[in-house]
Amino acid sequence: MRPLPRLALVWTFLRSFLVQSSWNYHTMLGTGFAFSMLPTLKRLFGADEEELNSALERHVDHFNAHPYLANIALGAALRMEADGEQPETIRRFKLAVRGPLGGLGDSLFWASWLPLVSILSIALGWAGLLPRWGVVTLFLVLYNLGHLGVRIWGYREGLRLGRSVGHSLARLDMSGWSDRLRGWASLVLGVLAALVLTGRGGLVEAGWIWGALGTVAFTTGLWVGHRAWRPAAALAVVAIGLISIWGVVR
Amino acid sequence: MELIGLAALGGGLALDGTSVGQFMLSRPLVAGTITGWLLGDPATGFLLGAVLEMYLLVSFPTGGARFPEGATATVVAVSCASFAVGPGSLPLAAAAGLLWGQVGGLSITGLRKLNGHLVPEPFEPGIRPARVVRAQAAGVVLDFLRGSIVTLAGVAIGRPVVAYLSGSWPMGPAESLALVLLGAAVSTGILLRDFGGFRSRRFLFVAGFALGVLGMRFL
Repeated sequence: MRPLPRLALVWTFLRSFLVQSSWNYHTMLGTGFAFSMLPTLKRLFGADEEELNSALERHVDHFNAHPYLANIALGAALRMEADGEQPETIRRFKLAVRGPLGGLGDSLFWASWLPLVSILSIALGWAGLLPRWGVVTLFLVLYNLGHLGVRIWGYREGLRLGRSVGHSLARLDMSGWSDRLRGWASLVLGVLAALVLTGRGGLVEAGWIWGALGTVAFTTGLWVGHRAWRPAAALAVVAIGLISIWGVVR
Repeated sequence: MELIGLAALGGGLALDGTSVGQFMLSRPLVAGTITGWLLGDPATGFLLGAVLEMYLLVSFPTGGARFPEGATATVVAVSCASFAVGPGSLPLAAAAGLLWGQVGGLSITGLRKLNGHLVPEPFEPGIRPARVVRAQAAGVVLDFLRGSIVTLAGVAIGRPVVAYLSGSWPMGPAESLALVLLGAAVSTGILLRDFGGFRSRRFLFVAGFALGVLGMRFL
């Protein structure tokens, strides 16, 4: 096992925060992935410019993953490059992991962790338990503890295990974590719903009719799901527009 | 000068949305509070940020999907609200934010198409490190410019419209807030469905609701 240069690995990790900078519909994260690998690839291939360029040609290829979990593939690809694995093996590894790293990351972060932290922060703010900046600080600190923790863990596991990193991913049971987080988020969502419906500045305070309309709106979202979002947002904009026009002409 | 500052803020926060880091500084809750604080109206910034956060929690930046952009929309919404007076400023600014979120989303799609022309072709012979670095740097700069222009246009158009309409807004403050919260209620319903639906999460949700009601009595 060839050792990887530590400083270059740190640079690669820092560059991974820019992995989506040139996101596009053609190669998606491809260029960002190659950009992140560059400091370590330069150290690995030294003066052999042809080898370096050839590695870049391989890594700018189409790749997609959740941006935080892309670090798992990044670390593993670097380990494989250092171990002198065949380019075709590395390409197949990236092909194999991009689907799971996208799906697991979306489910864990966008559909579980972000809503949980966000709802919790808003609920604490709405209840008056935290001042405004306290809410924002709690949200940012809590969210980024999870975010940075997973980025660092993924990168280290990728570097340690190379193409076997899938076992580590399976052991962590991200789907199970997502499910547990969504359970907690349901509890906190219940608290927020109570606050928005019956709390200070809530719907019932404006009148029972608003409380009833809020319950209908909530049930509609629950029943229809994501298909309700765009029409609901459009309806809100149109309703506000019509009320304001009525205000002008009356 | 203030417009340039707001445009730079919108551009900077937009970068966090996709291109740089994704530390969630671009979420409406954070963007709204920062904008409100900068404009001397932190209460409105926080309230609008929280409301837009509830609206936008259900649309994630997954893969190639088009999603409304929260950061620029929130900067536009808060700057519109702080420029207007009366209870109408909140719903009108929220509407401006929701509308401008779609414009921001469209501009992201456009930028992603443009990026496709700037990045090196896979297996293009002789790709040098400088070519890759240039493509990344261009992505960051263009995203910042995009966010700034979207914010600038939104503030320039939205501020006078919201200020004009809020003067004759016919509803009181409580009803105005309730009107905005109705749309957010739809989003919270969608969220519960995403979390597994009412049937599988009913105990937790109802327990949370009871906790919320009881908590209000004792707090």
